[in-house]
Amino acid sequence: MEYADVRSPHVRARTGATTPAVIAAALRLSAVRCRHGRLIAVDGVDLTLAPGEHLAITGTNGSGKSTLLRAVLGLHRETTGVIEVAGRQARGTADWRRRRAEVAWIPQRQGAGRFPLLVKELLDSGGHLDEAIAAAERLGVAGLLDRTLGTLSGGQLQRAYLARALGQVAAGAELVLADEPTAALDFAGQEQVAEVLAGLAAAVVVVTHDRVVAAACGRVAEMAAGRLREVR
Amino acid sequence: MNSLGVLLDLPSVRLALLALVLGSVALPIVGVFIVGLDIMPVRFAMMHVALLGIAIGLLTGLDPLLCALVLCAVTGGSLTPLARSGTGLSGAMGLLMTLAIAAALLVLSISGVNANGAFELLWGSILATRPGDVVALGLLAVLVPLLYGLRRRDLGLLLHDRELALCSGVAVERLTLILLVVIAVAIASAIRLTGALLVDALTLLPALAARRVGRSLPSMIRWSVLFGLAFNVGGFLLALLFDLPPGPTLVLVGGACTLLLHSIPERGLTR
Repeated sequence: MEYADVRSPHVRARTGATTPAVIAAALRLSAVRCRHGRLIAVDGVDLTLAPGEHLAITGTNGSGKSTLLRAVLGLHRETTGVIEVAGRQARGTADWRRRRAEVAWIPQRQGAGRFPLLVKELLDSGGHLDEAIAAAERLGVAGLLDRTLGTLSGGQLQRAYLARALGQVAAGAELVLADEPTAALDFAGQEQVAEVLAGLAAAVVVVTHDRVVAAACGRVAEMAAGRLREVR
Repeated sequence: MNSLGVLLDLPSVRLALLALVLGSVALPIVGVFIVGLDIMPVRFAMMHVALLGIAIGLLTGLDPLLCALVLCAVTGGSLTPLARSGTGLSGAMGLLMTLAIAAALLVLSISGVNANGAFELLWGSILATRPGDVVALGLLAVLVPLLYGLRRRDLGLLLHDRELALCSGVAVERLTLILLVVIAVAIASAIRLTGALLVDALTLLPALAARRVGRSLPSMIRWSVLFGLAFNVGGFLLALLFDLPPGPTLVLVGGACTLLLHSIPERGLTR
């Protein structure tokens, strides 16, 4: 499926497109199936997301939401079916590296990790430090740059990961995958993050149990027993 | 009490001291990698693999320690696919050490060599350090800090979280392969100095002490090298002064200092 390229000229220039044209879907899934050993976690999911479109995926714990996002990034190995980002499938190591570079990711498990990492290093890992620091300022975590992730509260950690993702979007990433990005936030934080996500020009897939975040998305789908059903 | 001046004039003592100083540059950094990858059993596994290498050397007539070094490097590299899962490497070490020791005993039996002879090579002795050992440690003292210097960002991300590293464009498989080979070779080299049972003195103890005071990868690397130098050179000089066996003295000095650091309350440490 192709869409008119309505991206701003500087984004088009950054991706190599110089004239308005048609572009591929931001994300296309066809018959995607993910297994955890014998267990089928994602069962034949089809989905097409236009550039700039926002989709919230809701559903009970263990219904396969996070596995689906991880499959898009190649983090879940037992996956079959077609997964295209911006019209491209990832087949080899180089393709996956490109895929991971062009998708901004906010993981669910933002653990402190095995080893100390500074907030500044986390923001830099997205590849666009200046943009990420600017986003961190907007999210109120710019004062934590020299703190290690292990010393942050859950909410601060989520804001830091969001700032990293926003830095990637500002630098040209056109798909954001966010896995429960408001789970550790207070009400004000949830509203702020929902507002920030809603304002993104990039396509967004957000797994959430948060009604505010879901309401801010143009499309909502529910996942149950590995199957995805569009509800709005 | 012995006179240090007289002892330091002995060529074997000077060579041992040089080996320890060179080892204190590279091996504590390797210890930081081991702690970061959460593969502390790797030293036991590599000890067993080294024994297999020695057995193969004795069977074929090649240099047993060179065989141990090469086999450790190959084994380290071949473990890379197991690093994909969080517990893969750690769990694989148990399997590896069992298989390696069984194969070593089989090879020793076939070669007709007395197993005690092979085991003796594993105990190591700092004062029996050969120029070849110093060269190997010198190479590691250049290569390991160079690897850290060139791949600092990638190493920090990989040691923190493999998936974050993957999603940050780090060539995780290749870097893990390099790290495992470096770790295996470094452990095989360190075995010669202190013996397999005491190899922790050179690798893990400085890294564990550094983890207590360092709050980022660069600071942990700096602290680990400082602690490595202090523990190893300090322990060695104490051993010379009081005519004690160097290997156990190094470990006890390093272990006591590490324990002391970990007993200081968090707020007492200036980070």
